[in-house]
Amino acid sequence: MSTWGLVKTVFFTAVTVIFFFIIWIHNPFAPHEEYELPDEAEKIIGDPKVAIEGRELFKQNCTSCHSLRYDGIYLMSVTAKPEWSAIEKAHGKPILEEKDGKIQVRGYFVPRDVYEAVAQADLQNLKASFGKIPPDLSTMYLARGAGYLYNFIMDPQKILPGTSMPKLFYPEYDKEAPQKVAKIVAYMRSVNEPPPGEKAKRTLMGIVTIGYFIAMGALLWIYRKRLLAKMGY
Amino acid sequence: MIKRIVDWIDERTHVRDLYREQMVEYKVPKNLTFPYVFGVLALITFAIQIISGIILIMYYKPVIAHAFDSANYTIMREISFGWLFRHIHAAGANFFLAIVYLHMFTGIYYNAYKKPRELVWIVGWVIYFVLLVTALTGYLLPWGQLSYWGTVVTTEIPASLADAPILKGLFGAIGETISIWMKGGYKLEDLALGRFFGLHVLLLPLILLALVSIHLFLVRAAGISNPEGYEIDKKNEPEKVAPFHPYMTLKEGAFAMWYLAIFFFFVFFYMHHFLPADNFEPADPLKTPPHIAPEWYLLGFYEVFRSIPSKFWGFVAFNLILVLLLLLPFLDFSPVKSARRRPLFFIMFLVFLFSSMALTVLGTMAPTPTNAKLGMFFTALVFLFFLSLPVISFLEWGWYKARGGRA
Amino acid sequence: MEASRRDFLGVALGGMGAVGVLGVLYPIVKTLAPSAASTTEAKVEVDITKIPELGVRVTSWKGKPLFVLRLPKDLTEDKYNVKKDSVNKAGKLNYDLLKGQEAYALVGVCTHLGCIPLWKPEGSDAVKAPYLHCPCHGGLYTPWGDNIGGPPPRPLFVPPQKRDGNKLIVGEPGFVKELV
Repeated sequence: MSTWGLVKTVFFTAVTVIFFFIIWIHNPFAPHEEYELPDEAEKIIGDPKVAIEGRELFKQNCTSCHSLRYDGIYLMSVTAKPEWSAIEKAHGKPILEEKDGKIQVRGYFVPRDVYEAVAQADLQNLKASFGKIPPDLSTMYLARGAGYLYNFIMDPQKILPGTSMPKLFYPEYDKEAPQKVAKIVAYMRSVNEPPPGEKAKRTLMGIVTIGYFIAMGALLWIYRKRLLAKMGY
Repeated sequence: MIKRIVDWIDERTHVRDLYREQMVEYKVPKNLTFPYVFGVLALITFAIQIISGIILIMYYKPVIAHAFDSANYTIMREISFGWLFRHIHAAGANFFLAIVYLHMFTGIYYNAYKKPRELVWIVGWVIYFVLLVTALTGYLLPWGQLSYWGTVVTTEIPASLADAPILKGLFGAIGETISIWMKGGYKLEDLALGRFFGLHVLLLPLILLALVSIHLFLVRAAGISNPEGYEIDKKNEPEKVAPFHPYMTLKEGAFAMWYLAIFFFFVFFYMHHFLPADNFEPADPLKTPPHIAPEWYLLGFYEVFRSIPSKFWGFVAFNLILVLLLLLPFLDFSPVKSARRRPLFFIMFLVFLFSSMALTVLGTMAPTPTNAKLGMFFTALVFLFFLSLPVISFLEWGWYKARGGRA
Repeated sequence: MEASRRDFLGVALGGMGAVGVLGVLYPIVKTLAPSAASTTEAKVEVDITKIPELGVRVTSWKGKPLFVLRLPKDLTEDKYNVKKDSVNKAGKLNYDLLKGQEAYALVGVCTHLGCIPLWKPEGSDAVKAPYLHCPCHGGLYTPWGDNIGGPPPRPLFVPPQKRDGNKLIVGEPGFVKELV
């Protein structure tokens, strides 16, 4: 290859790689918000064992307005209805969890239309008092991320001025408040991320797949070199 | 035993002859450069999309009450490996368009659209267009906030015809009609979702399959182009060609494997961009997400549309770029092929490449007045590229004649 | 030396290729596996006082139809011409497990090709006692699910079940320990 050819190759490769790096991996030009997460909160949120505690806190503090259907958690006023448990079993899919080596049902995933029909009056009441129906939180962790959620729950008005979400945790009166919020976020994370074992399996699978293709490419390349040498190209 | 089965089949179908003619006796230029691999990579990505799509279609429900949950609950949690196929399909869509863009820029660089390959280019352009529509229709299906609002904005774009300087009434009515027909009503609802679903999973892939076959047939019929820009006489210059198999197949096979390694890196470890966070919030017709922009492969056109102050002219401008792209073989009528031998074209190619990239990156930025000015500037450069082609061609015809008809 | 290295390469390529094909097929086939949620243990409770004598209550257990039958005490297997060599997974006739039980449950799926048998409490000309008749290909079963005639290769399946007062609890081990 001539020098000029080499220059062009390097140039076009670099331009392509930089372009896709900017639009796919890190775009320094696009506007984006950062939310600071205190170290302690980050540690709690990253710990999958906290999720069980977080689930209880979530049930106590959040379910008067929010559901989390993907983990079988519904509005308090709906689960209090006498017919609810039958509806759950008839229309929902069981959500399983492993506890002490045994698989058991931790709740039911009820389809949105069924749930909204049953909860019609409750949701309308919430709408009347808050202006809109408080969203279901099943995938909120994926949509907003830990930093946003932590800061938002700690002080909703600061993050989203004008929101109808009330402030529920006051660090002035309750020393535990930041930990509690972090635990709730940890729970929301656990719903949206595969459990640690599964996660490790996926990582391994990814490494094996990538390794396979690199090796396969190299083998084909060497095979071709040998073959062409034999054929006289 | 296997040999006897193959013999039996061969006797009836002559597959061995076909294999020999199409794979071994089919000769390709030896000097093909790396970018020629993008065609094969696009084909592989197409296959990946079809396979992963078939699996997703079994669990996806095109009804607004269930669309979001079927994507995020059933596929991501319930079905074993459902997550893998969704990741593959989402990353595959982005890779498909990325490879198609690289393939197109390669074609432009080596002037692979010129005689006798005009039809290859034109069919390729139609593939690109259908692919964009496929991407747009598929984008709605997960029924997240971005899906919903991205589609709302897209279906509103034809309505900008109402800003026409003349015949406002007529243009307005046309735009409005297109917009309503795309949505199947005044609002995006079940009807639109079902329509988009049907197009995305059946009609458009079938059209793509047919077009890709025609594209491949045309490439075979016209012969593959050459980075040096001349047509190789396969009979008289046997030292310049090599058999397609194994010379080319093994080389592209190796590249394809390494491409898949990169692809699966994204699938397993880097899906933030291909499954954007905002789309994990179910569609809410009463709340627009803060940063709504089309996917990266449309950002260039979007930036052209958005930086031009008049909606009508913005609409005309980005459609004109698409049309000019289609007319490329006729704008550039120079007898000389390949940027390697055309310094003026080489410079204009760089202008085009950088303007397209700059427009795409500008599309991701906040819409400030400075950015709008920059957008207009690069839009002008893109048009300058297309307008320069006839001029360059005219000059090159002169030089060509002066040299006695040799390039 | 050169030749053997080439051979090795060829084998390695072929082997890797085969591994690759399996690697692609594995997740695809796995997506077709039943999801964990569909295989959960279910428990069904039936109040047998609500079923009349010679009556059947059809409900479902693990997604399959379940027959809960209540028989008069004096009905025994002597009335039927049972195929004695056709036995369940435990190597016995269902009757040996269920005799003496006033009410019991059977999986109501014909062991031939999966149709749902009909309950004939009055009997017929051929079988002069209550029996189960599969309408698809004419399989005949005693009320305990043992084969009398027709194509079915084995007796009807019997789920684990126990008695608790007036309730028959299907899905928990009792007088039948496991699905046979």
